[in-house]
Amino acid sequence: MKSKIRRSMMAASLVAVSALVLSACSSSVDDAASGSGDCGSWAIAMHPWGGYTASANVISEVAKAQGCTIALTTLDEGPTTYDAMEAGSIDVVVEDWGGGRWEEWVTRGAIKDVGPNGNVGIIGMYVAPWMVEKYPDITDSKNLNKYASLFKTSESGGKGAWYEGVPTYTTIGEKMISANKLNFKAIFTGSEAGLIDVLTKAEANKTPAIAYAWQPWTLFAKIPDLEKGHVKFPANDWTDAAKASGLTDYPETPLPKLASTKLMDSGSVFATIVQNFNWTNSDQNTVALDIENGMDAAAAAQKWIAANPDKVKAWLG
Amino acid sequence: MHVRKSYLFLGSFAIWVVLALLFHGRNSLQLDSYENTPFTSFVGEQASSIRGNRTKSPIFIYFFNPIRAAISGFVEVIRSLIAVPVGNSIIPIIGWLGVLALIGFVVFATSQWRTSLLAIGLLFACGALGMWTYTMDSIAMTVAAVLLSLAIGIPIGIAAGLYDRVLKILTPFLDLAQILPTLVYMAPLALVFMIGAASATIATMIYSIPISIRITSHAIRNLNQAPIEASVSMGSTPKQTLTKVQLPMAKQMIVLGINQTVMAALSFAVIAALIGAPGLGKPVIDALIIRNVGQGFVAGFAVVFLAILMDRSTSAAARKQESFIPPTPKQIKNKRIFTGVLGLITVVCIYLSRTLLWVAVWPKSINISQQVEDVTNKVTTWITSNFSFITVGFKDLISNWVLNPLESLLTQSPWYVTVVMIVFIAALIGGTRVSILAFVLLMAIVLSGLWFEAMITLTQSIVAILLTMSVGLLLGIWIGRSDRAQRALRPFLDAGQTLPAFVYLIPMLGLFGPTRFTAIATGIVYSIPIVVKIVCEGIRAVPVALVEAATSAGSTTLQIITKVQIPAAKKTILLAANQGLIYVLAVVVIGGFVGSGGLGYFVIVGNLKPELQGKGLIAGAVILLLGVIFDRVAQAGARRAS
Repeated sequence: MKSKIRRSMMAASLVAVSALVLSACSSSVDDAASGSGDCGSWAIAMHPWGGYTASANVISEVAKAQGCTIALTTLDEGPTTYDAMEAGSIDVVVEDWGGGRWEEWVTRGAIKDVGPNGNVGIIGMYVAPWMVEKYPDITDSKNLNKYASLFKTSESGGKGAWYEGVPTYTTIGEKMISANKLNFKAIFTGSEAGLIDVLTKAEANKTPAIAYAWQPWTLFAKIPDLEKGHVKFPANDWTDAAKASGLTDYPETPLPKLASTKLMDSGSVFATIVQNFNWTNSDQNTVALDIENGMDAAAAAQKWIAANPDKVKAWLG
Repeated sequence: MHVRKSYLFLGSFAIWVVLALLFHGRNSLQLDSYENTPFTSFVGEQASSIRGNRTKSPIFIYFFNPIRAAISGFVEVIRSLIAVPVGNSIIPIIGWLGVLALIGFVVFATSQWRTSLLAIGLLFACGALGMWTYTMDSIAMTVAAVLLSLAIGIPIGIAAGLYDRVLKILTPFLDLAQILPTLVYMAPLALVFMIGAASATIATMIYSIPISIRITSHAIRNLNQAPIEASVSMGSTPKQTLTKVQLPMAKQMIVLGINQTVMAALSFAVIAALIGAPGLGKPVIDALIIRNVGQGFVAGFAVVFLAILMDRSTSAAARKQESFIPPTPKQIKNKRIFTGVLGLITVVCIYLSRTLLWVAVWPKSINISQQVEDVTNKVTTWITSNFSFITVGFKDLISNWVLNPLESLLTQSPWYVTVVMIVFIAALIGGTRVSILAFVLLMAIVLSGLWFEAMITLTQSIVAILLTMSVGLLLGIWIGRSDRAQRALRPFLDAGQTLPAFVYLIPMLGLFGPTRFTAIATGIVYSIPIVVKIVCEGIRAVPVALVEAATSAGSTTLQIITKVQIPAAKKTILLAANQGLIYVLAVVVIGGFVGSGGLGYFVIVGNLKPELQGKGLIAGAVILLLGVIFDRVAQAGARRAS
């Protein structure tokens, strides 16, 4: 019996070996290679939220048209990505919300901040829009306590539930609650999916909710009146979240692009595209919404590129 | 004795509640989420300096970086064979038809044609789900990790099987590795080996090597001693005895060990995507973040198919080793001719898959992913919109009556009260020695600065395991008593064990919203299969004579279950609870993604925000400490029960 097994193993390895021998002979498929020219091959970090996907695909499609080989590599935001850039496996972040957390890597010379991408990040606390109709003064932070009891859930320990933002983003909810003496408790939703769930359900079922939200974000296209739900805190007085008093609102953040030093020093046309890439929040939302409605990401990017030849031409330098 | 112990339990619990009311909110060691203690900032600074030194320090240049390079090189070789394009080509070395034929042939050669057809069918299904490349990546990652794990695990396992000393040294590490929640050691690994295939492979190996060591040493140790003694008495050297007698005899068990190692490695496939591993984890996690249930399920199905493929083909290979009926010469000849012909076909297929584009790159026309996605999306939307009033009601019921009181008891009592009470309960269940260990570890948690968060996580774990055990016991007893029920439930249990928890996290989110209960429900779904399986085994292991005696004495079914089967299986049931708890703890981290807060949230935040990096690493360590406390207390309790 043993010999039988050994024989079948041998047969298996024979097949494997002949497969390898065959592979050595070149074949017609190999010649269908793509990606030539001196642009080189580069990787864009892929952070899977709608807006980012839009920007990354547009840059990638533009670069591919210039003969670049572009990989879109999914990985976590923040340090994970910066590490990968240092290690050489990622070259570009098209939209970074890290609020300067890349400083350490810039100092070490691994990453370059290549300027704003044109999108402006607006962060704030938003109530479900139906509440604004019913309680018009709710969007003033001073009145929040008056309505705190509406926001109570089984999770919030007798106080109002304050759905705090995604871990990567700048969040100072706990400070805002204590500095403004709000009768709320921060609930850590932990993911974008959690926030989407809270706000869409609240609006659909007319239940109370107050949650962290940011723009550009496709949720604002799905809940058109969400904009009106922005709860106004006194104007912002901080840039460094660690030193924020918590009394005031989040600042507006121009979102930067980051690139590996390797790319920026290469002189590739892709470096120029990344350096010049710049578009508005509404540009991004157009593409992001197409993707969210089921269009293939690359196709949605192509559609926008075809409609905006001037902007694309400007990026090519 | 038995009665007095339960009185002690109730008494101590009552004292605890009174103390908690008296000292409510004092010394609870609560920290705001953005605050660091001197210890957490110290750990954070250390982590940063490791990061900064990766390109300079000699230990990285001469030790870690070469390991990383070697492992990722190995993975790349396997990937370029089946998964990623090589050089200027647009296809891997072997295209899809070639891979189908090759895997079908290898499975046929090592087991039988039925399994081989199943393997081909399952792989084809993965391709039809639009997941061909991801599946190939997962296979490549799994194969690489398994080969490396076996290369290390089997020799160590043999040594541990032969020498008691080796086993004794290894045992604590093996135990620890079983408790360690996978997400916890991924962050430190990524810190040292960076993001990518190498880190993922090493993480997988940490998880799967202990399993192969355990089973190999078990196989060697439990051999029939007679042939070994005969061989020694005939003057064989130890080496001869090992290679000619012990290893051949242990072969079936060792192949079973390979099966378990493969399954362990595959169960890592999804989580590993968080540290940059290529494969099926990627679409699953993408789906989680953009909240696309259907897409998550499509990828999840592919994971399940792959798991079934690997499980069936390796366990069929193991079963083949045990057949004692020697084949007739004619059968051997037939099989040999058949194998030869199939081998030839395989070679032709591989050649074709390198020459014709449509058998090299998976054709777009064979793709049902959109349909599957739509159907699962519709089904989950229907369920979440029609049942959420029930689920929300149930969630609120549990939250208000169990979760909130327990959380307030654990988090709002002064820490010293909680420590004393837990140590006391540990002493009641497991005895003095274990309670001392529990005390030391609890104090370590207090000093870590994450006591408050640990208590939140502990609350959720306790509630999850209580619910898991109440459902798991019922199901386990049911299928333990009925073969038909077992056959009916078996596929669901298998699927539940292999379907990555990330896949049903989103439907859970739809049902329960971003709450602690979502994490608890996910933990329950994840841990029920293992609990049911162990309980069922325990019930089946109760001697038939005992049950028959009770039946003939006129006991009702209920009496037999409660008076005979459960008491006789008590030890196994405790072990099931222990195993369930460890599974629950593993999911607690994932719960941080959907609003559970606690330690899991900090593990996630620590990966994302450098300023909280230290806190995240420590949160991971605290989860491990909780796991060790649970495990030691339950094991000691089980020993006492027997």
